Amino acid sequence: MVENLTVFMQKNFFPEPPKKLRNTLGGNKEKHLLGAICIKSRTGVVRPHTVFHIISVFLSFGFHSSAIPSPSPDPALVMVKQSTSRWLPAVPSIIFPRGDSLLFLLAIVSVVSLVTNELSRSYVIAADFEGFDTDEFEYEEDANDAIHSQSINPSPPAATSLAQSSTAESHHEPPQPSVIEDPPAYGVEHGGKPYASSTLEFWDEEEFEGIPFQIADPSPDSPAAPSEPPASAEAVAGYPVPIHRQPFSLSSYAIEIVCISFLIAFAINFFIGRRQNELVALCWASHFATKDSIFDKNFSLLGTGDGKEDAPLLLKEGQDVFKFYASGRRFCQGLLATMELRSRHDLIARLTNLLFNKKDTITFEVVMSEDSMDHVVLAVARKKLAKSMHKECRDLQRFATVMPTAPSGRRWVAEDLLVVTESKEIAGDLITDVVIDQVFGEKAFEKIGKGFISLHFSDQHPGTHKKLLFLKFALPGANNMTDMTRLVNLVPYYIDLIGRYKPSAQARAKTEAARAKAAQEAFKEMQSVRQETLQKKKAEKKKIVEEAEAKLSAEAIRKKEEKERSRQMKKLMPKVKMLRSH
Amino acid sequence: MKESSSTGSDPRQPSTAKPYVPPPISPQDLPVDYAGFLAVVLGVIGVMFRYKLCSWLAIIFCAESLVNMRNFEADLKQVSMAMMFAIMGLVTNYFGPKRPPKAQP
Repeated sequence: MVENLTVFMQKNFFPEPPKKLRNTLGGNKEKHLLGAICIKSRTGVVRPHTVFHIISVFLSFGFHSSAIPSPSPDPALVMVKQSTSRWLPAVPSIIFPRGDSLLFLLAIVSVVSLVTNELSRSYVIAADFEGFDTDEFEYEEDANDAIHSQSINPSPPAATSLAQSSTAESHHEPPQPSVIEDPPAYGVEHGGKPYASSTLEFWDEEEFEGIPFQIADPSPDSPAAPSEPPASAEAVAGYPVPIHRQPFSLSSYAIEIVCISFLIAFAINFFIGRRQNELVALCWASHFATKDSIFDKNFSLLGTGDGKEDAPLLLKEGQDVFKFYASGRRFCQGLLATMELRSRHDLIARLTNLLFNKKDTITFEVVMSEDSMDHVVLAVARKKLAKSMHKECRDLQRFATVMPTAPSGRRWVAEDLLVVTESKEIAGDLITDVVIDQVFGEKAFEKIGKGFISLHFSDQHPGTHKKLLFLKFALPGANNMTDMTRLVNLVPYYIDLIGRYKPSAQARAKTEAARAKAAQEAFKEMQSVRQETLQKKKAEKKKIVEEAEAKLSAEAIRKKEEKERSRQMKKLMPKVKMLRSH
Repeated sequence: MKESSSTGSDPRQPSTAKPYVPPPISPQDLPVDYAGFLAVVLGVIGVMFRYKLCSWLAIIFCAESLVNMRNFEADLKQVSMAMMFAIMGLVTNYFGPKRPPKAQP
């Protein structure tokens, strides 16, 4: 029965090669032919599909780069999945296109075409065996053997059992006696390598490009090669087990299992983390921005709404950034508090945060009124951070210096802290005894210092608003929000303090000079930039004029030439007099 | 301490209140979406070389990019493109012709 099957297979899939070829090739070359065919079918037939595939990829690119904002990605994805898993569900979406579904359709078509390409390729390979006409591909036996040891397993057991049978060779080769010039030699040399048609359907042309697919080489002399115990065992047992029906094992789906479980964990973590972040933000808002709280007592407008009763207090920007806005207070135009929370919603960021201990922070950014902030450039932070701020902030870099020693005869900030200021006097005036008592003093800082990050006041801030106060604190957990009450109290306190503050004449003169110098420099810089742009413009204009002239002159020359030519033509032409017959 | 220092009177001035104006965000100011970029790269690799793992990783990074999205309109294009590639890769992997199974020792 098995033999009959082989004959059938050979008749159907391996028609007789032309005689010429058979004579020249001999048995051993026959497998090369098959490789040639496969390549031929790949280059000849699959190419149009591949082109279509490329076009479809481009279509999908076009869809994505189009400026039309598409709705949430989910419907598109669902559609794509449906259309690929089954053919029918794609049809209704084509018949009933929705609003901007044309682009989606393009994307779907691209995916569908891809699938058709993939599916049709197998048919093409199965159907295209007429190409027994070339043998352009020669393979070295060494390479064959190297590959051979890799492709042992794909061999269908039917074939290997065939090889075990005594008549394997006779079935394999074309049944014409004239071809077999030296039967025993042929058999040994050839080794009975039947081609497995079933494996051909799963031919991966990309991976096995140009490689003849061949089955194990169980020559009659050594029926069970040591490198292929499973195949020979199957053959001996006589129970051919097709390889693609392997026993189900979890390890073969390891990637899928890991990835899907990670995605599920990611999704769960997203909802939990989002909830946690919202809880922290809402806790903060309920402690400091509700009725009779610090901000309610200090600002007339709370929240990002237009001041109505039910306006939202917090503005959510992304999953881990919340903003709180307040306005309507003396000395300042507005206050914007930005809470940057840990990315609890993001599992990957959460895992990396285990390594780098990131804190929840809140930054108060107070825009002072133009006329209510005098010359103040001051920053207070822990030593390391203060130094880096001094380097990075342009205003600090330009105007301020590190204040090395405390003013004599006064209590001063804690050891850990460093003050960067424009003048000693201003720093001494602004870091008052009250503040030292409450926050920056040695004792107080020990207690609430972990919530303090930095403080930066400047009337020379680069940007649209020059007079800004920055106060950056670390947020405590949602349950101990009251811990930062003192820190939050610093905000209105400093708004008032700085709003009223007037430095002494001496300090003022000094700072005035520095500012005048800076302003002059800025003015000079601006001037030079302006001049540069002016010059550039001039040069451009000149260029344009020159180009136009050149064009004009070219045109003039052309006209002249034409005239000349026509004149010459006239000269050359014989003078013909036309006479009217009547 | 604060109330005492601010002279007691009500500091609020409703007349000066200005409603919140969100600052214009230019796309350059947004943090770079590494996850989205990775997702696109992995998705393309997954499609081109038919690596299942790359396609799956692309989907994971798509999710990462999706949850970290700030500017919805601007980022959606990249994410959806990455998603398309990732799904395309998975489709070709699981619904396309199967590659011959690897040799087992």
